[in-house]
Amino acid sequence: MNSRFLLLATVTAGLAACTTTPTPNASLDKARTSFNQAQSSAQVAQLAPDELGRARESLGVAEKARTDGAETSTVDHLAYMASQRVTIANETAASKAAQAVTAGASAERDKLRLVTRTNEANAANQQLAVSKQRNVSTAAELAAVNAAAGRDQARVSDLESQLSELNAKKTDRGMVVTLGDVLFESGKSNLVGEGPASLAKIADFFRRNPQRSASIEGYTDSVGSAAMNQGLSERRASSVKTALVDLGVPTNRLTTRAHGENMPVATNSTPAGRQMNRRVEIVLAPQADDTPVR
Amino acid sequence: MNTSERQALLSRCPRRKLALTVASTAVLMLSGCASAPVPTEKMAVAEASVKHATTSATSDNAPAELQLAIDKLAAARQAMTAKNYERAAQLAQQADVDAQVAELHAQSARSRKAAQESQEAARVLREEISRETPR
Repeated sequence: MNSRFLLLATVTAGLAACTTTPTPNASLDKARTSFNQAQSSAQVAQLAPDELGRARESLGVAEKARTDGAETSTVDHLAYMASQRVTIANETAASKAAQAVTAGASAERDKLRLVTRTNEANAANQQLAVSKQRNVSTAAELAAVNAAAGRDQARVSDLESQLSELNAKKTDRGMVVTLGDVLFESGKSNLVGEGPASLAKIADFFRRNPQRSASIEGYTDSVGSAAMNQGLSERRASSVKTALVDLGVPTNRLTTRAHGENMPVATNSTPAGRQMNRRVEIVLAPQADDTPVR
Repeated sequence: MNTSERQALLSRCPRRKLALTVASTAVLMLSGCASAPVPTEKMAVAEASVKHATTSATSDNAPAELQLAIDKLAAARQAMTAKNYERAAQLAQQADVDAQVAELHAQSARSRKAAQESQEAARVLREEISRETPR
């Protein structure tokens, strides 16, 4: 009985050496605390998951050793290992975070450099465009001025030369081109001689001055009755109008008037005077921009 | 004392048989806790780790951490010499992990420095640009 008790006590004591109830261990508590901190940090959880996993494993080993009643020195050692593994996880995460910052900053720098260069390029382009625009508009203005001057000049000289060629005379009614007596035989209304050539020049004038309109006015000498002369002057004016329309002058630009034997330009008592009175006048209606012509 | 000796003793005397049982049980218990193989591999790992960590970069940025690893390795070697293999194994493992900590600490310090410099450079550039922009 006595010896059996002794055996039991020895075994119990022996077991107790290895399996004491978990005693508090300061270094293990510290390891657990630092692990919990690391685990709750988003940075560590994201950037060092493997390292954190090894720390967790290590901490598990240490806690199991304490639960199993391992020697304090063993638990201390395992707790130390766990703590250091937590440190490794923390440092790894810190490194990666810093590297990310570096990458971000250098990316920002690249972006800023690009922005600067782009701005500079844009500014230069803009300046170039502005100065080009200035040149262009200056040139355009100059060209426009020149062209206008040229046009005016051309029109003036054109009109002048054309009208002088047709022996136009400036009157109160406008410019008057007189088709001479050679156009008509006495008592006839059909055109003769160089009539058509003169009319071609007039038609050409209308073609080059499309905004012009004219009144075609017929006159006779005093030979014959006034009524007959009125009709004759009417037919002569119409004849000229028809000839001009045939030459391409729009009919709506031409009107006719008959003056008969009225308004003679010369005496009817001589053949030469009567010849001058047999005529058709083409009166060019005055125009707003006729100033240079007058 | 080996098993055959113990059995020989036990067979001779029942009273002593009991006493021996008690004694051997206690011995077995103790040896169960204290016996440890020679940690050759762990020592080799620790040596390699500390050697790897011993660079100018680590000693510049984590001198204390590196020194701790070196000291642990020295202590592990001493424990080996004293044939305290369990302690040697622990110290070797600690030296290994300490060396890693030293290296990583140095690395994170360098990374932090680089990040600061990089941010500073970006800030300077930003300022330059904001000075230039309002022409």
